[in-house]
Amino acid sequence: MAANPMHQFKVHTIGPEIEISGVNLSFTNASLFMTISGVLIIALLLLGTREKKLIPSKAQLLSEMLYNFIAKMISDTAGKKAKPFFPFIFSLFVFILFCNMVGMLPYSFTVTSHIIVTLTFAIFIFIGVTILGFIMHGFKYLKIFVPSGVPLVLLPIISIIEIISYLSRPISLSVRLFANMMAGHTMLKVFGGFVISLGLIGGWLPLTFSVALTGLEILVAFLQAYVFAILTCIYLNDALNLHH
Amino acid sequence: MKKYFIVFTLSLLMSERLIGAEAGMPQLDPKYWASQAFWLILIFLTIYLLIAKIFIPKIKGNIDTREDKMRKDLEEAKTFREEAEKKLKLYEELIKKAKLESKKIISNSRQKLNEDIQSKKESVQKQIEQEILKAEKEIKKFKLDSIHKVGSISENIVSDLLIDIFGEDGNKSSIKATVSEVVKQRVTKI
Repeated sequence: MAANPMHQFKVHTIGPEIEISGVNLSFTNASLFMTISGVLIIALLLLGTREKKLIPSKAQLLSEMLYNFIAKMISDTAGKKAKPFFPFIFSLFVFILFCNMVGMLPYSFTVTSHIIVTLTFAIFIFIGVTILGFIMHGFKYLKIFVPSGVPLVLLPIISIIEIISYLSRPISLSVRLFANMMAGHTMLKVFGGFVISLGLIGGWLPLTFSVALTGLEILVAFLQAYVFAILTCIYLNDALNLHH
Repeated sequence: MKKYFIVFTLSLLMSERLIGAEAGMPQLDPKYWASQAFWLILIFLTIYLLIAKIFIPKIKGNIDTREDKMRKDLEEAKTFREEAEKKLKLYEELIKKAKLESKKIISNSRQKLNEDIQSKKESVQKQIEQEILKAEKEIKKFKLDSIHKVGSISENIVSDLLIDIFGEDGNKSSIKATVSEVVKQRVTKI
């Protein structure tokens, strides 16, 4: 097991194989850890909203801090119009954060280290934002590809670049999160393997490194959830307030 | 390191043969993609609905009630302070008035007292003067009386002396005249 750092990303079914019209929808360890993250989120929020205290308990303080944090993030990046999307951004941030953090526990599985998971989110956001843009602005939404104040000569090139960058949004969004999580966990595993293979005498150096990396990975876990959420806010802002 | 991974995965994604799975990246094995996406959508939707319908309104309610309470308390405190300031002003005015009044009372009573003292002094003075006058009168009367008495006594003494010396009584009227003359001279001298 120590030999292959990619082994931790292996998906396997738990329980019976479920196949609906030829598509494998079995409950896997990935699904299990998604469920665990979900249950943890619900548990925290349940604890946080159980009592209506004027002076909040720890769980209540935590949920209220989360609320204020995300509310501030949305109002800072996307403005007032993004208010209806607050629950979505909140759920997105909390879900990714919890998946990342649960993944930091030893022997657990990191849901967000799978490209399909992040890509599902990214494609959903991409399609949603595009539809929203067309609903809000009609065909004027295409102005997003034509920045104002650009010389006419450069306009075709700029527009092509803008279109490419727009279309690559879901890929950049999903790969950023997925690659960060995968790289971090692979590195942790590699250094963990070094500790074993170098033994009692030489293993201290990679162990120190491993501890430091764990701290870094916790930071990355939070940061990537934040980045994912804030980029979603920025895309929403593009669709809601056409600045170009 | 991470950039390398991004480039690596991108290149893998673009190749249609998905050699990644064979190269050891379980993420690129499409066997469980549908399952993962399905469960993700299911679980995320559940979380989203719970958060949107239950938790966010609750948290928002909590925060709003707290802010409301704080605002109300602050307003209440403000009104209390204003009231206290009003009361303080009232109190200061009262004290000012009271001070003025007491000053007035003090000056009034002082004046009254002074007048009283003055009038009493005057009355006492008058009384004293009257007494003096009375006494003077009495003294005068006594003087006169005593002169008379001295006169008669002197006459008696003179007549007694005349009897003792000469053996006979002198002329009463001449004695009286002489004595009165002498008494007049002596008494007026005194």
